[in-house]
Amino acid sequence: MNYQNFVDELFKYGKKEGFEDMEVYFQKGKSFQTTVFKLEVDKYTISDSTGLSFRGIYNNKMGYSFTEILDEESISILVNEAKANALAIENDDLVEIAEKQTGYKAVDVYNDELKDVLNSDKIEFLKKVEKEALSLDPRIKTLTYNLFMDSESELKIANTKGLNLEQKSNFAASFVMALAVENGENKTGHAIILDRDFKNHDYKKIAKEVVEETVTLLGAKSVPSKKYEVIFRNDCAATLLGAFSSVFSADRVQKNLSLMKGKLNEKVASNHVTLLDDPFMEEGCVNISFDAEGTPAKTTEIIKDGVLNTFLHNLKTAKKDGVESTANASKGSYKSSIDISPSNLYIKRGDRSLEEMTSELNEGIIITKLDGIHAGLNPISGDFSLLATGFLVENGKVTRSCDQFTVAGNLTQLLNEITEVGNDLKFTMPSGSAFVASPSLRISELSIAGE
Amino acid sequence: MLKQDVIKEVLQAALTSGGDFAEIFVEDRRDNVITLASGKIETSNSGRTYGAGIRIFDGNNSIYGYTNDTSKENLIKIAKQVGMSISGVDKNLGVDLVEESVEIVNPIEILPNEKEKAQKIEWLKKAAKAASEYSEEITQVTGRYLDYVQDVLIANTEGKFVTDRRVISRLNVGAVASFNGEMQTGGADMGAHQGLEMYTDADFQAMGVKAAKMAVTMVHADPCPSGKMDVVIDNGFGGVIFHEACGHGLESRDIAKGTSVFTGKLGEKIASDVVTAIDDGTIPNGWGSFNVNDEGEKPTKNVLVENGILKSYMIDKLGSRRMNMPQTGAGRRESYKFAVGSRMSNTFIAPGKSTPEEIIANTKDGLYAKTLGGGSVNPATGDFNFVVLEGYLIKDGKIEKPVRGATLIGTGLEVLQNIDMVGNNLAYGQGMCGSASGSIPAWVGQPMIRVKNITVGGRS
Repeated sequence: MNYQNFVDELFKYGKKEGFEDMEVYFQKGKSFQTTVFKLEVDKYTISDSTGLSFRGIYNNKMGYSFTEILDEESISILVNEAKANALAIENDDLVEIAEKQTGYKAVDVYNDELKDVLNSDKIEFLKKVEKEALSLDPRIKTLTYNLFMDSESELKIANTKGLNLEQKSNFAASFVMALAVENGENKTGHAIILDRDFKNHDYKKIAKEVVEETVTLLGAKSVPSKKYEVIFRNDCAATLLGAFSSVFSADRVQKNLSLMKGKLNEKVASNHVTLLDDPFMEEGCVNISFDAEGTPAKTTEIIKDGVLNTFLHNLKTAKKDGVESTANASKGSYKSSIDISPSNLYIKRGDRSLEEMTSELNEGIIITKLDGIHAGLNPISGDFSLLATGFLVENGKVTRSCDQFTVAGNLTQLLNEITEVGNDLKFTMPSGSAFVASPSLRISELSIAGE
Repeated sequence: MLKQDVIKEVLQAALTSGGDFAEIFVEDRRDNVITLASGKIETSNSGRTYGAGIRIFDGNNSIYGYTNDTSKENLIKIAKQVGMSISGVDKNLGVDLVEESVEIVNPIEILPNEKEKAQKIEWLKKAAKAASEYSEEITQVTGRYLDYVQDVLIANTEGKFVTDRRVISRLNVGAVASFNGEMQTGGADMGAHQGLEMYTDADFQAMGVKAAKMAVTMVHADPCPSGKMDVVIDNGFGGVIFHEACGHGLESRDIAKGTSVFTGKLGEKIASDVVTAIDDGTIPNGWGSFNVNDEGEKPTKNVLVENGILKSYMIDKLGSRRMNMPQTGAGRRESYKFAVGSRMSNTFIAPGKSTPEEIIANTKDGLYAKTLGGGSVNPATGDFNFVVLEGYLIKDGKIEKPVRGATLIGTGLEVLQNIDMVGNNLAYGQGMCGSASGSIPAWVGQPMIRVKNITVGGRS
């Protein structure tokens, strides 16, 4: 059945079965992914897929269901499942399906040329990355992972109140991990490019970056356990911020699951911190003109000069708090229920470079890699203790690389002890549907455990 | 699902450009998820996942494609598109499909749709209620129940044609304790590759109490000290240490490429004498057990390490080609959206001789890691990390006081050599293991063990 017929029939049947307002959230996409290993194609995957989420109000509760096939049988499954699910809900918060709205700001998230790039050219690109990386330094033994992926997707949200939205987008990414070997010691490092313009996937640039990142780790040793002044390099700072981003979700706050509860209009970070969620960000990775409930996207200043201004809301949490939605309703996919997530979340940049900040460290550590982020970090307690890699700085100079140590602290303490924000804003790999960026952050003191 | 003659045509189409092996995986899956917060059902969602994936081998190379549209025309189109990346000629390999019967490892009595939602909600609430009532310091309890039924069909040009049904269910509860403006969490869960009969004798109240007790204990705990110390890791989910520190490095994906620290080490001593480790997909109704895997092969009981000597790897069909060794039933994937990879099923350290009391009493100073959380490993360097959710300091052979916020780090080879005591109390814990072929259920397991001189990352 085609999409429009399916939706018409679905809403008709839903109404007959007693649903009030209803909505569909439809995703259709194509993707390509390939990896090259030792100049041969190691993995090659193509796909086309569709999925549809149905939700509707029955007995004042929101029932959900999903399917991946749009056939006759799925209509009754969707409606009956959603009804049974609505009947199971006990939470009394008011729920609603969005009204038809105006004021959507267009975003440029589709690159016309990407679909015409031949798969063979993408493979050729990866081969060039490998040849270049291996030629740059004899200690680089292999690229353990050398991946290019692109995808194209079409999102539609339509409801029985007349809202009807569409967004087409595409995306491309390269990810390389290199293995360097010297004196029986193995080290790996990685580099990424997130850009929907294939021309910006520069094999020389990514090869140089991954090689430098990897070989500087050779000879790394642990460090003595004690407290150090620490700089999280931009990508690591963004990784940390992304992993903690749920503390700003109004849903977590309302459920007593956020340490930011009760702190609106209070100082929650040092004066240097201004935190924004900007769906229209110039360097943004995936900008949006509407959120997963169809609310027009907007820019939100979450923290200004250290003071917490607002939480991130969807329609339900906003209604409960008596405020307007910040347009942060999100769905991990058509299989998920509505949640809250930032779009492009970032800390506003400061004035000085990483090098300038480093030159002032008496004895400190620059952290360039964090591992086990989803295990060693608890967004509810705010505690973190993470395996890290980086550089030891003595008297303002990098003296050696270090690894096999952990960096530990608590989010509350971390935010308050940011003494400087760098000027080098950078995005990291996406966490869920959010893209997170940060400049390098200087922290007055954190516990380091090593030798 | 799909008829044999359609599958035959699709498989033949997949080989027209010169591949020497083709496989189709068809999946029809129904999911239910119910979540609870503040004592009330918060969300309930359910749905149907349906699609097919086609994989082609050309010598040691593998290519893959998937779609939701399983009409014959579209599957043939996809098969040809996938094959296009091979520039060869059709070898005209015949396809003769023979339907195989499946030996049941995971017997199923009660299917998820045979119980009302209300019943599942009642189980969830029992556990949540026990957690909330445990202490006034418990400020939030969340819960999650899920079940799914996954019907699969796997066929390939070697003649395999097999269908199977997988039934999984899991229930977990999380508690948050607050004290002095700080929050700490605790959790408990149960799950199996089994029908809902698994809940018949379940003690939901004990689950709730376990989660709450952990949160309350941790909110009153001091930060864990940092540095190198002897660590006693309790049984059950503690087995994540072997899973991360060694298991992933024994999967054929990295072994075949030479990018694992364990490449070329078969027959060598990689662990201390007291370590024997096994990957066993044949445990009846085990969380990571299966009747047939996602390549249609039977599970095996695979001794990986015996008395410290590396005996075997975990190998899937592609790994078997690349390494010229037999496959070990390791081919698994999350769904039709992933090509198969070499994966663990239920991986554990075999029981030893010491009693848990002996192990603690023989440890002068150290950390007792009662409950571990997740972690990760870099197979190329062996560097691993995992988190201690509930820990206690050991002083003079006695458990002294709870500590929080600890992470254990090290390298696989080092930690395996440093295991010096293995207990007699083997138990398993449910994990969701993530890798290139997606997120799959896998048991981790071990008896209580002691590891000498491991780096503990804490905050004091």
